Amino acid sequence: MTQPVTIIMIEDDEGHARLIERNIRRSGVNNEIIAFGNGTDAMKHLFGTDGTGLVQKGKALLILLDLNLPDMTGIDILKQIKENKYLKASPVVVLTTTDDSQEIKRCYELGCNVYITKPVNYENFANAIRQLGLFFSVIQVPSAAT
Amino acid sequence: MTAEAQRRRAFWQILLFAAGVLVLTVISAGSVYLVNKARSDNKWVLHTIEVENQVNALLLEVRRAESGARGYLLTQGTDFKADHEKAVAAIIPALDRLTRLSTDNPAQRDNVEKLSAAIETRLDQFAREMDFVRQGQPEKATALLSEAAAGDTTTKISSVASAMIREEERLFRLRSVNADQSQTLAASMTGIGSGLVVVLTLISIWLVRRSARIRDEAEARLREANVNLETVVDERTSDLREANNEIQRFAYIVSHDLRSPLVNIMGFTSELEELGSDIFRRIGSLTHVPAEGPPVAPGTNGEIALEGPDKQLSEDFSEALGFIKSSIAKMDRLISAILNLTREGRREFQPVRIDTRELIEAIVSTLAHQAAEAQAEIHVEPLPDIISDRLALEQIFSNLIDNAIKYLKKGVPGEIRIRGRTKLGYAIFEISDNGRGIDPKDHQRIFDLFRRAGTQDKPGQGIGLAHVRALVRRLGGTMSVSSELNAGSTFTITLPMTWNASNRKADQ
Repeated sequence: MTQPVTIIMIEDDEGHARLIERNIRRSGVNNEIIAFGNGTDAMKHLFGTDGTGLVQKGKALLILLDLNLPDMTGIDILKQIKENKYLKASPVVVLTTTDDSQEIKRCYELGCNVYITKPVNYENFANAIRQLGLFFSVIQVPSAAT
Repeated sequence: MTAEAQRRRAFWQILLFAAGVLVLTVISAGSVYLVNKARSDNKWVLHTIEVENQVNALLLEVRRAESGARGYLLTQGTDFKADHEKAVAAIIPALDRLTRLSTDNPAQRDNVEKLSAAIETRLDQFAREMDFVRQGQPEKATALLSEAAAGDTTTKISSVASAMIREEERLFRLRSVNADQSQTLAASMTGIGSGLVVVLTLISIWLVRRSARIRDEAEARLREANVNLETVVDERTSDLREANNEIQRFAYIVSHDLRSPLVNIMGFTSELEELGSDIFRRIGSLTHVPAEGPPVAPGTNGEIALEGPDKQLSEDFSEALGFIKSSIAKMDRLISAILNLTREGRREFQPVRIDTRELIEAIVSTLAHQAAEAQAEIHVEPLPDIISDRLALEQIFSNLIDNAIKYLKKGVPGEIRIRGRTKLGYAIFEISDNGRGIDPKDHQRIFDLFRRAGTQDKPGQGIGLAHVRALVRRLGGTMSVSSELNAGSTFTITLPMTWNASNRKADQ
């Protein structure tokens, strides 16, 4: 990896964010994790103040996205990421409580790379996140388009 | 329109008809009467003329007799004599006739009597004159003639006759007027009667038209009411659908959003458990310092046994966490169940032709293991094929058969029977068993979500029957149970032979 990958976590539930972060760390992933509790802040970070996404140019990102956000739906964020020329190459992992087949289909159609339903059973949850962490440690993430 | 008004209208129509008949009868009777009267009036007019004629004829004969007698007296010609005799001979019958004719009128009768007395006198004079002439005494006859002429016999005859004629002329005028009156009366009666009939006819036509109009209006109102009714029903139906959809959305959102905090509770409970075991391990390692040597490194061979109150604490801690975790697990199952139910409620049905027996035999074969364990035998009888949603039917029957196997009586070999028949476009399926049965007071309750009945010795959430009933209803059918405690149960499902997508599509 020419550049360390930054993990952007967009998750409104602080508890979930904490559990996810903890389990990713447990799987040995030490990359920087930037957490956002709402869509607006995350969008500002991703697309910059000018909304073009130029700020992320040349950076390697991995985005963890929850669909149920207080101010906007994760689907909207996913759509805008996949339509932005600097961000569309970044892998997006949708991690949410919804297991509706329509929703899952729609996310993949919009270009989501992985869709994971949060299991209520904590053991399964922790396992899923740890496996995700293992996955993070091996995948190659491209730098945002230059 | 009220019944009162209808009755009044019928009454008026009958009254009109009766009036018409009455008027016609009166006109007919009146006409017959008046025509007869006119005829008799005319007869009397004719009679007057006849009497007058007869008087004139009598006078003529008397004059002829007189002139004949005179001629004979002057010339002694036999011609005159014959003429005179012929006239005299005619006088008596003419007089008789006049007498007969005038019997109706007392005044004329008197006149006739006077006249006949005068004529008799005159005839007597004639006879004597003729006798004198025959005996060759013409001078005597002439004297008699002049005497007669000088006397009032002839004058009397003519005066009486003219009196009679005058009387008759008076009567003629009177009777003519009478006859005219009768005829005018008859004519006007007919005219008025016809007018009345025309008026009654017009009133009848008006009444008939009015009732026709009222009927048309009533029909129009009825049509309008029908259309309104349909609109109202449609409105209510769409309101209900709206409400139902609202509830579904609500259930979905609530159950979905409940999951999120549950993940945290579960997650941090597990974290707490981790922490707890770490803490107790540490306590163990601190309290278990062997007299010689360093403290036992934790984790080398698993747990370090705690003692006394520490052990008690550790057990209490684990027990509390255990309760929390099992409660969370239960809550998760309930939420999942609600989510599945609402998801089922949103699923679009695909009606296909289903070989019901094949479908049920497939279900039975998947449940064969449970059936064998419960020593149950499942008999599938011939079943009617229907057009419906395959998945829904599978869920309905597998839930019911599964329940039948699950709630058999202990120690009694189970016998489960699936029967079917058709009735009026509906297929009726019966799933009966010889199991433990359901108390009648619980028959309603078992269909409620999360409610169960009887001994709670089997795992379950109380969802199956609620789900089955919701599916049956969505398929346009009904479901019922008949059962006694310890006497088996029979679940009856009535489904339309052909599920019509259009009648339920608006649900989606």
